Amino acid sequence: MVGLVGHNGAGKSTLIKIVAGAQRADAGAIALDGTPVAIENPHDAYAAGIRVIHQDAPLVPEFDTVENCFLGRPYPRRFGTIDRTAMRKTIAQVAADIAPDLPLDVPVAFLPPAEKQFVRLLRAISDKGRILVLDEPTAALPAEDAHRFYAVIERMRAQGTAVLLVSHRLDEIAEFCDRAVVLRDGKLVAAFAGAELTPANLITAMGGTAPAATHRPPIGETATDMLVIDGLVTREMRTPVSFTVKAGEVVALYGLAGSGRSSLLQTIWGAEAPVAGAIRIEGEAYRPKSPRDAVRAGVSYVPADRHRTGLFADFDLVFNNTLPLLSSHRVAPGLPLPDTRAERSAFMMAAERVAMVFTSPRQLARTLSGGNQQKLLFSRWANRHSRVMLLDEPTEGVDVMAKRTIKEIVHMIAADGNAVLVSTSDREEALELADRILVCRDGAVVASFTRAEATPGALSAAAQAKVAS
Amino acid sequence: MSRLNLSRFGTLLAFVALCVGFSIAAPQAFASQANVYNLVQQMATLAIVATAATLVMTISEFDLSVGYSASLAAVVCFVLFAAGYDVWVAVPAALLASVAGGVVNGILVARFGIPSFVATLAVGTILSGFAFGASGGASLFRGMPEGFKAVGRGDFYGVPVLAVWIVVVVGIAAFVLAKTEFGRRLRAIGGNRLAAHLAGLPVMRDTIVTFAVAGFLSALAGLLLAARLGSVQHTMGEPLLLPAYAAVFIGTTASPTGAPTVAGTLLGVAITGVLANGMTILGIDPFIQKIMTGVIIIAAVLLRRLGRTQ
Repeated sequence: MVGLVGHNGAGKSTLIKIVAGAQRADAGAIALDGTPVAIENPHDAYAAGIRVIHQDAPLVPEFDTVENCFLGRPYPRRFGTIDRTAMRKTIAQVAADIAPDLPLDVPVAFLPPAEKQFVRLLRAISDKGRILVLDEPTAALPAEDAHRFYAVIERMRAQGTAVLLVSHRLDEIAEFCDRAVVLRDGKLVAAFAGAELTPANLITAMGGTAPAATHRPPIGETATDMLVIDGLVTREMRTPVSFTVKAGEVVALYGLAGSGRSSLLQTIWGAEAPVAGAIRIEGEAYRPKSPRDAVRAGVSYVPADRHRTGLFADFDLVFNNTLPLLSSHRVAPGLPLPDTRAERSAFMMAAERVAMVFTSPRQLARTLSGGNQQKLLFSRWANRHSRVMLLDEPTEGVDVMAKRTIKEIVHMIAADGNAVLVSTSDREEALELADRILVCRDGAVVASFTRAEATPGALSAAAQAKVAS
Repeated sequence: MSRLNLSRFGTLLAFVALCVGFSIAAPQAFASQANVYNLVQQMATLAIVATAATLVMTISEFDLSVGYSASLAAVVCFVLFAAGYDVWVAVPAALLASVAGGVVNGILVARFGIPSFVATLAVGTILSGFAFGASGGASLFRGMPEGFKAVGRGDFYGVPVLAVWIVVVVGIAAFVLAKTEFGRRLRAIGGNRLAAHLAGLPVMRDTIVTFAVAGFLSALAGLLLAARLGSVQHTMGEPLLLPAYAAVFIGTTASPTGAPTVAGTLLGVAITGVLANGMTILGIDPFIQKIMTGVIIIAAVLLRRLGRTQ
């Protein structure tokens, strides 16, 4: 199992595409078992047993595991019709080895994200796959599910499957890989194995400096109670939750996907109606009926899954930046016509605050790297004075350098006097960002840690659902 | 726009080529003042209905009720004329009927999440039922005031008054989409509805308003058509639906991102209009005209695709 690391743009994706046959190499050769092979198209790669699992590779939601595994493969037939029994048998054999608990006959739409990832894995290997390329396989999974996933990969490796792992989570690379190679600007710059394979070494080789532990002054007892959640019950958070976020404080809601933390954020944002309970901002009752009300009340929000719920990919950066606060850039007060010059300078100012790297304010949002797209979602709120900042998975799928910058931005936002509430499935992110961590599990807040008390082990233990098995 | 590329101008070039081609093939008949006048009159109703379709497509929805809505407005207006009401009652009532249809469309789509294709087809069918019932299936022409005829047939300093209507409607719609906050919001909703909602935009309200405006414009088109023809049938608006969307799709080939634009749609209307008019002048069989029109729509969109992938 070999790790492949590097910043966005270092050449990892290109390399994977060449191996998968999606792109042709300019020079050089690929050898399998010591024999050079010509991989000119995806079909060649597939025939050679190379299986690439892309981040969020699409599954057909209405199909069950067995049907998804057979997509694009010839179906076994019996009397001229598809032989479901034979299909199931084939898949069950492979599944028994790697994921015996995976439901085979349930539409995958009903499976949690971790199980879906197993379906992708099963689909990749059930048809004579022997080289596995994993592109950010655990980006959307909490640490516990990621471990379960790697345990399976580990077993496959032991049975002779070669694995190439691409991940921004360097701790995973260090923990699970035998070796790792580092790409920078399209070149292989370093390789590590054994005791040398540490996150710090990887970061140095990638061309960054190891993240310094952030020292933030403790929040004074006298700070205002900015956001007060009082007995709030939401669609997914079924046990009443009460907590306070002071001005300048960062509180993280840590837990698995579906533990209720996203639902809590959506409710504070006005996108979901609360079932019961109350919210107060600076002591005043706050009952948003829509995100519009939240914006007016000085609440800002960076959604998770930026492609689906945040970005306007086919529009330029200025358009994206101004949209939520469109009416604050008018040619004349009371006239609903946007002042494009004011918008542009507002964007330039906001982009600088979040250290966005871009070539032109008129470029389309889809042409930015993942990290800069994420910064674009932050920059929308950078020019105004918010009171509460809601962040859902703020560093999902961005590289190490961008992660660092975003962390600094979050702390800057807090230092401006915001109450910051972060929802995350990334344990390290919770530990590095937050002053206080609330652990969510099965629709309830089950534990609370201060920064000093919190340890990776304690967080995982609290977040892990106790399944009687 | 500062950046220009060939594939966008291809559509405009095709239009110019058509005009030049017909002018050479039939210099007296096609390029004559009378024919151009006639052409503009034929295009006006379609241009307005196509503008309505463009607005709805900007928010990535369909409105299949535009044609029925046009018919209903014309019928309501002429039924009231026949009953002795004057223009100041009949026209507002007609517009209101279609706007109401649009609001229902909008509520079904925005509030209840019914796919717009289904909702507007159903509402359109209901509207056509009302139009049928109100007209009794007969042709209506009694009681039309002379003044009403003028809005569809008259001259305005030598320019056909329908051309003025095109300029006003298309001009306002283009301005609203490109330059106002409302237009910006519509484009955002079309680009990513969920992200627009989560960014705090009033998605539901804007969607309803868009369908209401589409109803209004369809009604306007219906009334202008009625004024030009001087009589009303309860099915008169229906043939507008498909050409309107054809024009929008041809128009998208002239936009940088492939999103519908009002100017592009007008170009689409002009291309289909000139094509039909020119082919008729050249004496080409109507069935060949239909085949040609279909082929040209496919060719335009296909060329655009090919131009993009390069």
